[in-house]
Amino acid sequence: MTAGNSGRKPMILILATEACAYPGADNTGQIHAEYSTNAYVVRVPAPVQFNEEFYLRCFDKGIDGILVMTCGHECPYAGAYDRTAQRIGRVHELMKERGLDTRRLRICAICTVCSKAYLKEVKAMVELVSQEQAAAVGGS
Amino acid sequence: MTEDKSQHNGEGADAENIRVGVYICHCGGNISDTVEIERVVEAAAKMPSVVVARRNMFMCSDPGQSMIEEDIRTERLNRVVVGACSPSLHELTFRGVLTRAGINPYLFENANLREQVSWVSKGDPTGATDKAIRLVGAAVAKARLLRPLEPIRLEATPRVVVIGGGLTGLRCALDLARLDLDVTLLEEQPFLGGHLAELGQVYPSDKPAREILGELIREVSAHPRICILTSAEVIEASGCVGTFLLKVRAAGEMETQCFSAERIAADLASRAHGPNGDHHNDGAGTTELEIQAGMAVLATGFDHYTPSQGEYGYEEHPGIITLPALIRELESGGLGSGPPALNGRPINSIGFIHCVGSRELDGVHDQNGKTELNHYCSRVCCTSALWAAKQLQARYPDLQIYDFHKDIRTYGHGHEDIYEDTAKSGVIFCRFADTAPPKVTVTESDPPLMISLKDELTFNEEIDVPVDLVVLVTGMVPHAIDNLVDMLKLPRSADRFLQEVHPKLRPVEMAVNGVLIAGCCQAPLDSVESAAAASAAAAKAAALLGKGYIEREPFVARVDQALCNGTSACVEECKYNQAVSLVETAGGARKAQVNAAICCGCGMCAAVCPTGAIQVDGWRLDQFDAMIDALLVNY
Ligand SMILES: Cc1cc2nc3c(=O)[nH]c(=O)nc-3n(C[C@H](O)[C@H](O)[C@H](O)COP(=O)(O)OP(=O)(O)OC[C@H]3O[C@@H](n4cnc5c(N)ncnc54)[C@H](O)[C@@H]3O)c2cc1C
Repeated sequence: MTAGNSGRKPMILILATEACAYPGADNTGQIHAEYSTNAYVVRVPAPVQFNEEFYLRCFDKGIDGILVMTCGHECPYAGAYDRTAQRIGRVHELMKERGLDTRRLRICAICTVCSKAYLKEVKAMVELVSQEQAAAVGGS
Repeated sequence: MTEDKSQHNGEGADAENIRVGVYICHCGGNISDTVEIERVVEAAAKMPSVVVARRNMFMCSDPGQSMIEEDIRTERLNRVVVGACSPSLHELTFRGVLTRAGINPYLFENANLREQVSWVSKGDPTGATDKAIRLVGAAVAKARLLRPLEPIRLEATPRVVVIGGGLTGLRCALDLARLDLDVTLLEEQPFLGGHLAELGQVYPSDKPAREILGELIREVSAHPRICILTSAEVIEASGCVGTFLLKVRAAGEMETQCFSAERIAADLASRAHGPNGDHHNDGAGTTELEIQAGMAVLATGFDHYTPSQGEYGYEEHPGIITLPALIRELESGGLGSGPPALNGRPINSIGFIHCVGSRELDGVHDQNGKTELNHYCSRVCCTSALWAAKQLQARYPDLQIYDFHKDIRTYGHGHEDIYEDTAKSGVIFCRFADTAPPKVTVTESDPPLMISLKDELTFNEEIDVPVDLVVLVTGMVPHAIDNLVDMLKLPRSADRFLQEVHPKLRPVEMAVNGVLIAGCCQAPLDSVESAAAASAAAAKAAALLGKGYIEREPFVARVDQALCNGTSACVEECKYNQAVSLVETAGGARKAQVNAAICCGCGMCAAVCPTGAIQVDGWRLDQFDAMIDALLVNY
C-alpha cells in the first residue's frame, strides 16, 4: 500500500450534490454510458461547505482536477449556489498565485438526468489533466 | 448509544476500537462482470480498521443482509461498508441491518460500484477494478470517522396552515382535515377559489368550474377542523417545523366561517366578472392574530401573464385580447347569443396566437425592452386555447377560427381529443418558427387586424391573415409572494416558481423543513395536476405530523463548543433565521449553538468557521479529507 499520486493516471475528483449531480451521475450509469475510470464521485449535500483551503489541499495531495457539480440555480439551499460560485472564484485567484492552472477547478450545474452534460464535463476535464500531465512529463 | 466525546473531531478513529466490515456485492453480474470482485475484497481486507471483508451475489438479499448482521454480532463490528449499487437504492436497507444487529444505523457507509463504476467502465475492467478499490477505500476512511447519530425528534403542533385558497389550497385543506389534522386556510382575497373560479366549463371534465369549486368550498367551510381566514395576509413568520408561528392580519371574522350556499354561489358568480370580482365585504376593520402550526403548505398559485404594451399589438386595438379575457367574455355571455360581437363590433374571424409570455427565447423575445423572459412552457394554455375554440365553434358555427402556434402541446389525458375535435370541425392551423413569431398589425380595412407569418405547414409560405379578433394565448407567471419568500427563506428556481427539493424523490417538499408546496406556485399545472399535488402535500404533512412529533435525519450542523471562539461568522453566513445563534455559556463566553429544527444541513457555516468548530454531522470536513487521502492510496 502506497500513497501519493506520482507516476499514475491523473485523478479527477467530482464533488456532486446529493439532490442533482449525484443522481445525474447515477443516471449516466443507468444508461450505460462510458467515461474514464479516473473520475471519482464524492457525494455532498452542498459544496458550499468547503472552504478555499479544502480545494488547495486536494491539489497538494495529488488530485489533478476537481469538478464541482452543483444544482446550479435549482439548488435547494438558500444562497448556497451563489456562495459556492463566489468561493470558486476566490480559489481561482489563490490558484493563480500558486501557479496552478485555474482550469483544473471547474464549477458547473448538473441535473438529475443531465447525463450528456455530465459526460461532457468529465471528458473535458480528463483531456485537460491528461494533456497537462503529458506536458509535465515531456518538460521534466 | 451515547456519543463518545473523544471522537468529536474524528481523532477518535484510532482511539476507539474501530472494527469495520466491508461487503462487496456482485449484483448478479452487474458489478462482477466488469469489476474483479475478488481483488476488491483482498484490497479491502488490508485497509485500516477492516476486520472482515466478504462478498455476496446480492448483498441486498436476505442471505446478504444476514451475513452482515451475523458479522456485526460475532466479529463485534461497529462500522459497515457495503460496495454495491447507488445509495439511493439501498442505503436505508443497510441502515436497517445495523439497527437490527443492535448498532447505530448511521455507522454505515456505501460505495457506489454499480452506477458509478461497472456500468460506466465496461471497456476498462482493470481501471474499473482499481476505481472500485479506491472508492471502497474512501468509504472505509469515512466510516472510520462516522459517529453514532440519532434522528432529530421535534414536538409538533397537529395543525397545518395552508396559504392560498384556490383549488390547490382547498383540496389540500379538506384532505388534511379528513386525516384528522386541524387546518387554518389563509386566502388573501375576500373569496375562495383562485383562478379556477374565473373559468367556465373546464376541461377535461366539461363541468363548470363553479360547480367543482362550489362543492369543494361547501365541504371545506363546513368541516369542523378547518378555520378559513379570507382577506388574510401573513405579516410575520417565525419558528420552525413542528412549531411555526405566523402573525396574520385578516379582515372580518376570525372564527371558523361556515359559508352559506348563497354566499358561495354569489362569490363564485361575481368572479366571472374578472379576477377581482364584485367582492363580498367580510365586515369592517382588520384583526391580527397568531397561528401556531406544525407545518405550512404553500398553495399561492399563479398570475396570468400580462403582455407589455405593443406586444403582438396588445392594448393598441380593443380587438386584441388575452385568452383569460376571452374566457371571461365567453362565460359572461359577452359575445352575445346571436352572431358573435364584442363591444358592438361583429366578430367573424378569430386568430389565436400561442406561447405569448411562455417559451420565450433570448435574442427573440427580449427585443421590446423585456428584462425577464419566461423560458418555461406554461403547459395548460395549448389545451385551454383549443378548448375555448371548441366552445366558440359549438356556439357560433359560422365563426372562422385560426390557430397560430409553434407547437401544440396537448399533453394530458384526453387533451389530444380536444385538438382532434377542433381540427375536424374547421379550425385552421398555421405554424411559425421559434425564432419568427407572427406580427400583428392594425389596419384601416375590415377586418381591422392582420396576422402575418411564415407558415411552416405550407413550406414557409408568407401569409397575411385578416381577423376581427386576436386572442393572445398567455401563460402563467408565479404569483408575487416576495414577503413569504423572504420571511420563510423559500428557494425559487430560475423560472421564479417555488422550488421543490427534488422533482421525483421529494416532489412536494421544500428545503425549508416543514414547508410543503403544491399547485401552480410550483409550476404551471392544470387543475387535475394541482389537485393531485394538493393531495400529495396533505398526505406528506399527515405522515409527518400524525405521530405528534417529527423525526428528521440528523444531518445538521453541530458546534464543538471547545473549539468555538464565538466569532459569529457562522451566524452572519447562515441564510436561515435562527438556525444558528450565539448563546452565553456557563463560563460567560459566547458560543455558537445550532437549532437542529431549523438547520437545513447545507454547511454554509462550516466553510467560514475559522476553527472548524461547526460541522455538518455525517458530512464533516475531516471525513471528506480522509476520503480524498484514501482515494490516492494504491492497494
Ligand atoms: C387561461 C387558463 C385556462 C385554464 N383552464 C383550465 C381548464 O380548463 N382545466 C383545468 O384543469 N385547468 C385549467 N387551468 C389551470 C387552473 O387554472 C390551475 O390549475 C388552478 O387554478 C391552480 O390552482 P392553484 O390553487 O394552484 O392556484 P390559483 O388558482 O392561482 O389559486 C391561488 C390562490 O392563492 C391565493 N394567494 C396567493 N398568494 C397568497 C398569499 N400570500 N396569502 C394568501 N393567499 C394567497 C390567491 O389569491 C388564490 O386564491 C387554466 C389556466 C389558465 C391560465
